[in-house]
Amino acid sequence: MRHYEIVFLVHPNQSEQVPAMVDRYTKLIEEAEGKIHRLEDWGRRHLAYPINKIHKAHYVLMNVECAQETLDELTNIFRYNDAVIRNMVVRRKDAVTEVSPIKAAEGREERRPRREERSEKPAEAPAETAEAPAADEAAAE
Amino acid sequence: MARFFRRRKFCRFTAEGVTEIDYKDLDTLKGYITETGKIVPSRITGTKARYQRQLATAIKRARYVALLPYTDSHQ
Repeated sequence: MRHYEIVFLVHPNQSEQVPAMVDRYTKLIEEAEGKIHRLEDWGRRHLAYPINKIHKAHYVLMNVECAQETLDELTNIFRYNDAVIRNMVVRRKDAVTEVSPIKAAEGREERRPRREERSEKPAEAPAETAEAPAADEAAAE
Repeated sequence: MARFFRRRKFCRFTAEGVTEIDYKDLDTLKGYITETGKIVPSRITGTKARYQRQLATAIKRARYVALLPYTDSHQ
């Protein structure tokens, strides 16, 4: 049994199928006495470059421990599934369970934009009002 | 006279004692590619050879899964 990290990209139109697909793959691995150490759904992300004229894709990350045959079966499924537009399997030395930087960044981004708006507006408003009367006075004189 | 003081380069990964550079850590990787998407050579960044090799594979993996661009002229 070895540790693998699998990332696969699903066509955005087939996004609804993702939970079912993940379910099928976890069952496949667990039936073969493998383990799932980490399972992350990054959701629909913008691609850095278009793949097959597609600009967005649904990302799924899986850290699994399984035998070679199971992995072969899994990659074979990826190959013949038209919804999977790309997949990558990386061998890992041990089980990784902590949250990936991408998932962590996602959580941060949800909160960040609102905070920036709030901090900018009050800072700008008093500065403008203070300047405006001074400019008027100068013009009047 | 042209010899002005230049900030000393240092390897961020050695300083932080990173064990493995993750291809999913986009914020870190983006600091080591140019605007055109090329990997910045270690002679510029000062990254130690061991980490530069890891960095290169990490960037290449990130490119394959479309987390990073290969170039700025995609389509």
